[in-house]
Amino acid sequence: MITRRTRRRVRAALVYAGLLSITLVTCFPLLWAALTSLRPTDEMLRVRLLPERVTLAHYRALLAGRPMYFEAGSGYTASTVPAQHFLAWFANSVLVSVATTLISVAVSTLAAYSFTRFRFPGQSLVPYFSLLGYMVPSIVYVFPLFLLIVPLGLADRLPSLVLGYLSITLPFCMWLMWAFLRSVPLEVEEAALIDGASRFQVFRLIVLPLAVPGIIATAIFSFIVCWNDYLIARIFMNSITQLPLTVGVMHFFEGVHVDWGLMMAAAVLMTLPLAGLFMLVQRHLIVGFGAGAVKG
Amino acid sequence: MTTPARSSVSGHVPPARSARSALSDRQLGVLFLLPFVVVATLFVVYPAAESIRLAFYSKLPFRPRLTFVGLDNFRYLLDDPVFRAAALQAVVWTGASIVLQTVCGVAIALLLNQAVRGIHVFRGLLLFPYMVPTVVIALVWRWMFNPEFGIVNASLRATGLVARDIYWLSDPRWAMVSTILLNVWKFTPFVVICVLARLQSIPPELDEAAQVDGAGAWQRLRYITLPQLRTVLVVVIVFRTIWTFNKFEEIYLLTRGGPGTSTFNLAVYAFEQATANLRLGVAAATGVTMLTFLFAGSVLYLWLLRREDT
Repeated sequence: MITRRTRRRVRAALVYAGLLSITLVTCFPLLWAALTSLRPTDEMLRVRLLPERVTLAHYRALLAGRPMYFEAGSGYTASTVPAQHFLAWFANSVLVSVATTLISVAVSTLAAYSFTRFRFPGQSLVPYFSLLGYMVPSIVYVFPLFLLIVPLGLADRLPSLVLGYLSITLPFCMWLMWAFLRSVPLEVEEAALIDGASRFQVFRLIVLPLAVPGIIATAIFSFIVCWNDYLIARIFMNSITQLPLTVGVMHFFEGVHVDWGLMMAAAVLMTLPLAGLFMLVQRHLIVGFGAGAVKG
Repeated sequence: MTTPARSSVSGHVPPARSARSALSDRQLGVLFLLPFVVVATLFVVYPAAESIRLAFYSKLPFRPRLTFVGLDNFRYLLDDPVFRAAALQAVVWTGASIVLQTVCGVAIALLLNQAVRGIHVFRGLLLFPYMVPTVVIALVWRWMFNPEFGIVNASLRATGLVARDIYWLSDPRWAMVSTILLNVWKFTPFVVICVLARLQSIPPELDEAAQVDGAGAWQRLRYITLPQLRTVLVVVIVFRTIWTFNKFEEIYLLTRGGPGTSTFNLAVYAFEQATANLRLGVAAATGVTMLTFLFAGSVLYLWLLRREDT
């Protein structure tokens, strides 16, 4: 049956060709950003696939925080729209994203346990409200939240971002944790309760370990949402040193002269933490997708 | 959002607790719920309710006072040609994005469902755009679609397909195309994952039986595989439509709604009303319009889902 084998080979070749071209389209923008970030500034305006000389100058400028980005004559001084705050922005993003994720995962895990194990009036509405809550776009929340933040004296300070991000992450963490905990079987818990364990012991020693994959997936999605937010930070924050990465990096466009190498280096550095997380926990992410809830 | 626990809290697990446990189930249930109720009320329910209230008020910047104006903000919206244009552009943007995402998503999912070696690597790589921050995509897009130095125009020039450079971000029509491409690139993986999950749960016997009966590849796709995808596509399309219609960053970061107002959607319009014109009431009224759409979409979703179930 040579014809059949040949046919199968042709088919496999076609599948690979399709897969490779799609992967190219998917990966090319980031690959191009990485290649551009390694290109010296004087090569920037000639379009070549590979840089003739490789330089780390753009990364050095961002990480060493040299206030030399804007040359004299471009109308901007180093202190107004600088690259030297990049590390501060990075730290702000990490801090705010981690804090928000910890709070929203902890709060929603406790509440989801309560909702799936005890009876409350109006309980059946919880998933619907969570679903509705996480479909509401942040443009609706952001201005009332800002009016709430100002009298609290939190405007332009990092804690305000944590509070703002909670309004996006909480409904969707609740939805995910509710789905996960509902699928954790009750039998083991019942057995432990009969054996004399307390409710809290059951939660800590039986339910939490079983819920770890769900908790990890929820935490990752929450982290991504916080890390990627632009709108809330744009409205809440003002001082250049208090910005998260997203808003800070967009300031690079305010100069007359746009330094593409620097910008692409920033893009690469901003994606790295997510790429790292992604590779570490790809398995858990698919669990999250499987649970049917992704913020997007 | 949630009803706080009242006296009717009771475990549905046999009440065989030891005397040592300091807290009853009821107390523990309420205790676990408390942080969520507090945070959700303050930062989810309150701002959502407040944004609806603001739609009926006029708020002057830097002054705490609100003036009740009834439906004036909504009347303002209806009279504003920019709002009407933004609504129309949002429909175009959403429609084009959804069609392209669905078609590409199903095609890619079918490819990824093939049993060839190394398929897991491809599956992993294709998920990636979903994780990339919108700011990063916007930066890269602005660089790639730069009319003079961008790789896209350079490639088009090299192939000789276009006579003149395309101004991807400063020509109103092409700006819309660029934002659609960005959205499709970023969110097609979402469709792929959902469809792929469904494809993998289709029993292979169905396909084999059809093959034995002499059905060709195209017939099997048309009459066996695609009908199986119906339910998941309904879910995906409704969700993606709601989300896409309300997107802000995907447009604002790439074009700022421009050139002019040619890529405004409702979210960008609301943002500009609140920040540039300082009309918080009008922005809130736009938000309510978006919420109405979202709510209608959710009801449609539940209705379709129920119909699919029966």
